[in-house]
Amino acid sequence: MIKIEDLVGGYAKKRIINGLNLQINQGEFFVLLGPNGSGKTTLFKLVTGQLPIQHGRISIAGKSLSTLSKIDKAKHIAVLTQEVHISFDFTVEEIVSLGRYPHQKSLFKRLTTDDREVIETVMDMLKINQFRNTPFRMLSGGEKQRVLLAKALAQEPEILLLDEPTNHLDIKHTFQMLDMLKEWQQTKNLTIFAILHDLNVASLYADRVALLHEGNVVDVGDINTLRNETQLEKVYEVQVKTQPHPIVPKPQLVMTPTYTNSESETPDGHSLTIKQNEAHIHLQFEQPLRTISNGMVGGGIEWFKHFCLFHVETNNHCSEQMIYQQMEAYDIPFEQAVGIMTTANIADTVIVTKRKDNFEMIALVIVDLMVNQHSLPSRAPRMIHMMIFMDGHVTDASLVSGYMAAAEAKAMAIQHLKPAHHPLKNSDINDCLVVAAQQQRNGTVDVEEADVRKGIMNIAYEAMKKALHKYVQT
Amino acid sequence: MPSLSTQKYSKNKIVWLYIVSGGLVLGTALIGLLTSSVSFPIPTIIHIILDKTLHLGWLEDVPKNEQLIIWNIRLPRVLLAFCVGASLSLAGAAFQGLLRNPLADPYTIGVSSGASLGAVIVMFFQVNIIGLGNYTLPVVAIVSGLLTLFVVFGLVRLSSRSLAIETIILAGIIVSAFVGSLISLLIALGDKDSMSQIIYWLYGSVGMRGWSHVQLIIPFMIVGAIILLMHDRELNALALGEEAADHIGVNVKRGKIYILIGASLLTGAAVSVSGSIGFVGLVIPHLVRLVAGPNHRHVLPLSMLIGGSFLILADLVSRTMIAPKELPIGVITALIGAPVFAFLLIRERLGRGENV
Repeated sequence: MIKIEDLVGGYAKKRIINGLNLQINQGEFFVLLGPNGSGKTTLFKLVTGQLPIQHGRISIAGKSLSTLSKIDKAKHIAVLTQEVHISFDFTVEEIVSLGRYPHQKSLFKRLTTDDREVIETVMDMLKINQFRNTPFRMLSGGEKQRVLLAKALAQEPEILLLDEPTNHLDIKHTFQMLDMLKEWQQTKNLTIFAILHDLNVASLYADRVALLHEGNVVDVGDINTLRNETQLEKVYEVQVKTQPHPIVPKPQLVMTPTYTNSESETPDGHSLTIKQNEAHIHLQFEQPLRTISNGMVGGGIEWFKHFCLFHVETNNHCSEQMIYQQMEAYDIPFEQAVGIMTTANIADTVIVTKRKDNFEMIALVIVDLMVNQHSLPSRAPRMIHMMIFMDGHVTDASLVSGYMAAAEAKAMAIQHLKPAHHPLKNSDINDCLVVAAQQQRNGTVDVEEADVRKGIMNIAYEAMKKALHKYVQT
Repeated sequence: MPSLSTQKYSKNKIVWLYIVSGGLVLGTALIGLLTSSVSFPIPTIIHIILDKTLHLGWLEDVPKNEQLIIWNIRLPRVLLAFCVGASLSLAGAAFQGLLRNPLADPYTIGVSSGASLGAVIVMFFQVNIIGLGNYTLPVVAIVSGLLTLFVVFGLVRLSSRSLAIETIILAGIIVSAFVGSLISLLIALGDKDSMSQIIYWLYGSVGMRGWSHVQLIIPFMIVGAIILLMHDRELNALALGEEAADHIGVNVKRGKIYILIGASLLTGAAVSVSGSIGFVGLVIPHLVRLVAGPNHRHVLPLSMLIGGSFLILADLVSRTMIAPKELPIGVITALIGAPVFAFLLIRERLGRGENV
């Protein structure tokens, strides 16, 4: 356990840390966050003793740090920093052995059997055994950092200080390294006190975080501290949004750049091209649209540029794979596309466009007919697919509202307009609905949630009406 | 387990290295005693040494002049060569480890020149510090060597924040040049006799010194060597950098001071008895590292042994090459050392992944 009370310190001419209080509990992974110059490294140097404490107290397990000798301190605390340069051709084993320095007691200060055992265990756990006789210089960055971690762990510390240890590493080695640390923390009850630059990595591994700003702790707490967007924006001066991690229940942060996209638009303001033939209809936008959909391909909330309907003869063996094949045939990049299958004639697609105060909307509806196979009425409609596109800055919440409104409008239209005695259901399990908003186009306006609902309600109802009309007439 | 066998192998290798180095010392010493204008049979030589030291002689009537030549001329010369070589190599190994710089040695970082200046001043002005007697010369040489070292470090600190390898060497050369010109000034001011005497001394030699010089160097050499040999773990840790060494519990400041004092004791004492002999401290530790690995626990003692026998051999070459005249020993070591230095400089750059 580290307890920092009322700490003041820094350089002779400039105090960096000003009355800081912090407590790090036994066995936790504690991460110190903050922009450059916020005092993270200074705080670290005060803990390691490289800078003198001007006022206040740092104690580990109740003992004041200033009363401990260097050797005693090294028995409790080990440090891992960014990659260091090591002179001369020391082998990996020799480097790891240096970690035993504070524990060598005998008169001649040589490695005892106990020392050797610790070194072996650490090298085993970090999987650097195969390099033991390799010169350190010959290793890759990730391997070097693993060796230095082994050296730190060979000190058998209770507390491990990490100063951006993954700075030079790629994603693979960063996660490998942090996974190893996490494992060590959990199995050996090691207390880890780390400076990490990457907020998202910190969120994934930290038990608790402290946010440092101008030499003082702004906030301390579990990783949900990172959900406070305004606080992060104040400290980092960058636009930040939090998002849930899709798999782990932890926040992830996304930063928004301040520059605006200056990609040119088509002169008439239309950034949409529609290609249509017997087999498919393909709507392509210049800019990606914020989209919520349950399409077979491209479901969820995402950014998409391409929206396609493909015709198939029967719906029985419809699979994602078929859509991918179709997209490939038409040169549509499927990671940027929503794809839906239909047995309807593509020619029966209804497209409605509406414009109100600079706010344009397009709705596309296709009523899918049951193919005459079984005893069902020959022209019973089976599925209704709907896509709605709009201009304007829309929040994700508005987008969900719009999605609800579209579904409601669809149900209403069916209630009102379906011919008597027709087995047309309000909805089918295979119905697809797409709502997309063109967030990034120049000149688009912010749209209120209520307007989104109303607009979508109207246009969806109208498109449904036309589509059902067409169906009844034929 | 393969690791055990490699450990055993490397342990055996180290033991063999010590045996070979020890043998080398004895062998070169014997050759040194044997080879000269007049040669005596080996048994005679061994008899004289054992008789003088342990009274264990077994030969009857060895001529008095033979005894004199071996005991009073050749043995002190060989011993002095060994001491100087061992001191300079050990000091070089320590400087290299401390500065994390494979190009550092007493000569390249200017300590030798500083010590020379001190020694020249003592000889030129016949200085005699009361209470020190004959030891005035080595003490002044050691102190002026240390002072020069601080000047060099000061220059490095002022010119660049990192202790870059090239910066240290450059500062050493600048200070050496300055100190060299001071020495030249002293020589120019002196009369012809003392001039040639000092110049010849400056080239470095272990000849015509006798037992008195052996007595001068030995106490300093023992103290310096003990200090350095006790700090092998600190030198190893310093390879990680001062910060990282601090993190594993090394008292960096204290360790540095001890190592600097130890290395300066050795350098100053060696220079005061033999003049400035360059490149021994550079080449020998490097060779040792190539064979024994970088662990200072072995690099330091092995450097002493190899360095000592190297200088015995160099002395042998210097007095036999153009016999009966003698070459200054510093010329021999520089002839061997300078190309090695150039080679190391290039290799160092290659090692850092730069293109030539």
